Amino acid sequence: MPLVLKKSSSELLVPPNRHQMPPPAPFRWRSEKGALNVLGIAVFILALAVPFITASPYVISILTAGLIYVMLALGLNVVVGYAGLLDLGYVAFFAVGAYTSGILTTTFGFSMLEAVPVTIVVCIVAGIIIGGPTLRLRSDYLAIVTLGFGEIIRLTARNLEITGGATGISGIPSWSFFGWDMADGLVIAGIEFNGKILLYYFVALVVGLVGVGGISRLSRGKMGRAWKAVRDDEDAAEAMGINTYFTKITAYIIGAVWAGLAGQLMGTYLSAISPTSFTFLYSALILMAVVLGGMGSTPGVIIGALFVSLAPEFLREFAEWRYVLFGVLLVVTMIFRPQGIWPANAVFPWSPALAARRARRAKATEAPEGSAAGGPA
Amino acid sequence: MSTRNTLLEVKDLHLQFGGVKAVDGLTMSVHENEIVSVIGPNGAGKTSAFNCISGFYRPTGGCITFMGKSIMRARPSRITQMGMARTFQNLRLFADMSIVDNVKTAAHATMSQSWYDAFLHTPRFRRTERACEADALAWLDFVGFSGDPEAFVGQLPYGGQRKVEIARALATSPKVLLLDEPAAGLNHTETQHLMALIRQIRDLGVSIVLIEHDMGLVMDISERIIVLNYGREIADGTPEETRNNPQVIEAYLGSDEEDAQ
Repeated sequence: MPLVLKKSSSELLVPPNRHQMPPPAPFRWRSEKGALNVLGIAVFILALAVPFITASPYVISILTAGLIYVMLALGLNVVVGYAGLLDLGYVAFFAVGAYTSGILTTTFGFSMLEAVPVTIVVCIVAGIIIGGPTLRLRSDYLAIVTLGFGEIIRLTARNLEITGGATGISGIPSWSFFGWDMADGLVIAGIEFNGKILLYYFVALVVGLVGVGGISRLSRGKMGRAWKAVRDDEDAAEAMGINTYFTKITAYIIGAVWAGLAGQLMGTYLSAISPTSFTFLYSALILMAVVLGGMGSTPGVIIGALFVSLAPEFLREFAEWRYVLFGVLLVVTMIFRPQGIWPANAVFPWSPALAARRARRAKATEAPEGSAAGGPA
Repeated sequence: MSTRNTLLEVKDLHLQFGGVKAVDGLTMSVHENEIVSVIGPNGAGKTSAFNCISGFYRPTGGCITFMGKSIMRARPSRITQMGMARTFQNLRLFADMSIVDNVKTAAHATMSQSWYDAFLHTPRFRRTERACEADALAWLDFVGFSGDPEAFVGQLPYGGQRKVEIARALATSPKVLLLDEPAAGLNHTETQHLMALIRQIRDLGVSIVLIEHDMGLVMDISERIIVLNYGREIADGTPEETRNNPQVIEAYLGSDEEDAQ
């Protein structure tokens, strides 16, 4: 039986009153979506400028770690925020990506760039192997099983010889393109870029930009609607002709690939990985970034990931109290904004003008329906 | 009636939950372009039969054929793709999506858009999205929805949500539409509109199977009525025949013998 039945367009039921297709919406920066794009570009340029403002290795390295968290949170957002699959073992894919690229480059002599496609393929396979049996389960059961798989991956890495056991893998090379190695550094227009720290920041920034753009584009297409439909009501989604099992697997695979790439980036950045980098704590922190920022909301998830990775650094002056304060901050945020810092259904959550417009719209929607005056003509 | 093609055929359908026989040897058929009602007392197995036909329950026996193919072991999504759409007894809209997105979701199987089209924003992405949006808005218009299609479904009153659910089912491009108690919770005016709408849908060439408790509605619009009791059909005929069928009266009101006991 073919997976998708293609109907020829003549067989399709066409609404009798179908009008001309609406013209494509012109780009308006004053529109909500346009303003969001402008804001995104501004943030990206600002992030690009940071190393020119302060080249302190400490600031750049915590920002790079923050960007890796952003990538992970974006990937988990597809799984949890869009498709509604509670995954408590997400760090497993991070580990798969880090170990795959680490083994390929140290043992098999691959260059970092050559390892990228292999990492992607291995993550897809891992996504199918882990997702295949677990995605038949629903909510609570799925959470427990993914938790188990996360631990299985970590313990396997700890006990295999090829993964270096408890000590892990060290001496992972950096990126090299056409004979130039990133560790050599780079001099452009008299400004010297130190390889190890600065360049990884830029790589993480560019990869993060691809993630933000790509994932939010996917979420607005056919696949994204299917994810959200499955999240909101699995049975109703099936009744709409959406194969929910297949849809959940696609969300899982995209999440897995994204975490794998983040893992590869982290492996080469730190040049060493060990099983302790992939404990349940990290799965929990990434999930927290997604829930805190706002499930299914790209700007929210970015804010959440930066908060989760940077807040402990900012709280450093409180010494041993910093994790207590971090916890209190989280609890307070969740009490006052349970739907997340930047909820998915709000384009600009704080704008009073938009809130007023939305309220007017809601009213306008209700009036003609409630009076039952409208109806099929 | 016999000249019409048969779209859906159910033969000797059985569904058992443990010791409970929810559907017990149901046989019925639906022809092209007709309005059929399925009625029966509470617990007669109407919704269970619907769930078997649309693939949500796996029947324990019998056979279901849709457009010449067996759909006994097909996924619900596959059955929808073949051309059978349904609505649910309790509204099941996608609560965190806008009204127009709810309807657009139903075009999933019929739109030829790949994930990389969305990722790269190819011309095909723009074309399919615009066509899908135009269709969704036209279906909303068709069911008589007037309001902001960008609002969230939760903001709509019950009657409006019913309309959106029917628009969503139509957007899957069905040949047969199963409506599970579409008039439940609607007021008199809204029910009148629903009746007109069901006739309009039939006029598009879609067969309609209706589970309904509102007898006025059923008697008015049905061309054929199938009466279920204890999981099997006890009558199948025109509204007039059904109204005067002693077995049907007995099923709804009880028999004289029972009263005497």
